Amino acid sequence: MIRRLSLTTRLSLLFMLALTGVLLAVGLTFNLLSREHFVDLDRHALHEKLQASQRLLGSLRRADELPALRPQLHTLLGAHQDLRAQILAADGRVLFAEPSEAAIPARFRSQTHALWEWWEEGRLLRGMTAEVALAEPGQSLTLLLALDVTHHADFFSALQRWLWIALVVCALLSAGLGWLVARSGLRPLREVTQVAATVSARSLKERIPQAALPVELQPLVSSFNGMLERLDDAFVRLSNFSADIAHELRTPLTQLMTHTEVVLSRARSLEEYQDALYGNLEDLKRMARMIDDMLFLAKADNGLIVPERKPVALHELVEQLLDYYRWLAEEAGVELEQEGSGLIAGDAGMLRRALSNLLSNALRYTPAGGCIRVRIGAGV
Amino acid sequence: MKILVAEDEPKIGVYLQQGLSEAGFSVDRVASGSEALQCALAESYDLLILDVMMPGLDGWEVLRRLRGAGQAVPVLFLTARDRIEDRVKGLELGADDYLVKPFAFAELLARVRTLLRRGQASAAPTRLQVADLEVDLLKRRASRGGQRIDLTAKEFALLELLLRRQGEVLPKSLIASQVWDMNFDSDTNVIEVAIRRLRAKIDDGFEPKLIHTVRGMGYLLDAPE
Repeated sequence: MIRRLSLTTRLSLLFMLALTGVLLAVGLTFNLLSREHFVDLDRHALHEKLQASQRLLGSLRRADELPALRPQLHTLLGAHQDLRAQILAADGRVLFAEPSEAAIPARFRSQTHALWEWWEEGRLLRGMTAEVALAEPGQSLTLLLALDVTHHADFFSALQRWLWIALVVCALLSAGLGWLVARSGLRPLREVTQVAATVSARSLKERIPQAALPVELQPLVSSFNGMLERLDDAFVRLSNFSADIAHELRTPLTQLMTHTEVVLSRARSLEEYQDALYGNLEDLKRMARMIDDMLFLAKADNGLIVPERKPVALHELVEQLLDYYRWLAEEAGVELEQEGSGLIAGDAGMLRRALSNLLSNALRYTPAGGCIRVRIGAGV
Repeated sequence: MKILVAEDEPKIGVYLQQGLSEAGFSVDRVASGSEALQCALAESYDLLILDVMMPGLDGWEVLRRLRGAGQAVPVLFLTARDRIEDRVKGLELGADDYLVKPFAFAELLARVRTLLRRGQASAAPTRLQVADLEVDLLKRRASRGGQRIDLTAKEFALLELLLRRQGEVLPKSLIASQVWDMNFDSDTNVIEVAIRRLRAKIDDGFEPKLIHTVRGMGYLLDAPE
């Protein structure tokens, strides 16, 4: 499935994922940090009030002296409309509450110095507890303070809502942007494709201009151009080869046709017909050999003949060839000589063929009394 | 000796049949692979000559099914395509020989005789004789009419080849490959010269002449009837 997606789609999707991911990470971090900051602020405010109250209560000797402090406590704790305060005696009686109807769940009474919070009728409250030891032994008070922090919670839920909205908008926007970016980034590829699509046997000479292309596409295009070049080369060779065959075969064919027609033009003796057929056979054999040679050359040219690489003793090979040509040379009054020896890695059959061609040409063009010398040596 | 020729090109088929018949073989001719398979399974032949490219079953397939049916008859392939993979494939399938078109008929004939001879295990003779020509293969000696003839090693090898295949036309390419191990066609007249030298020693001054030239095809050694 993923494999079949277009490059443009793939790139825009990746772009979108990356951007949305970054935004999400930033949003979540911001959320977390600000949440901690607000908790810190609350703790700080509570701590301050708690310390002030502790100082105030610390001056008492016994719990039942508390009513004397009521005005100061009221000034300290009543001024803040989001604050709730309770002062309890050691036996759990509520000695003081500000505002007077304020309730704090009993389960927090023992959680001294830790920050605690609870929901109450859709409102979030956060508070702290402290024990105050009084001057007279065995006398102590429990102090509970709680702050209504609902507006913080509201702020965070709004923040989160906006974060999600921003995420969705960003995803859509980045997908669109990514599509545009990918399209324009891939334009060189489309241009290359267009040129490649117009290549045919007729236009194998054409090359994709490489200078203006981005670096990433250079290797692709240069290998494509290389392929075109090889194709062009092979194509030219192939057409030349067919043209050569046609041309080379024309001469013996003309000879054959003319000869046959002339012979048939009137009645002749048996010997004459035989002669004509022998003549034709010679021509035909020459043509067959021509085709063999041309095919061999074409194959060699196109790398279809893979030569062996085996050690070949050159002096033995030459000796064998000279042996083959000796009588012909004797008849022509040409001397054959061989000197030196050497071992090379090669294809004995092909070497023999090549040397044989050389020798037969040499024999053809060496006048009587001459000498053909084959010298084997390194670097000669 | 019975030969089956399977060749879808009618002219080539007819000429092959004519040539082989005139060389003394009894020849059946079919024009498709399926017919070839039928005939080869129904009758016993000494040799099959199969064209590789045939409609229906090609030569490879005929051979594969024949060998599958346990037939060990020698098979010679004719093909217009000369690719190494083809040769390898043919040999793997159990073909005995492989001839690329266009071929000289004399070459085909020589190979057919070689394949047919392969079947008959005969003790290699140590002495050969034609008319009054006697050759001792062990002592490497030749004499005619009781008169000793001196031959070089190559001349002896050439004479031995002609004698062993007495009465057969040997194409020049076959002589070059058997005597000098030159396995390619060349248009030099090395073989003409060699034959001329051998003739000078074997036939000059003797009657009847034993070495004959078959124009356009090759040479043969035989005593006149």
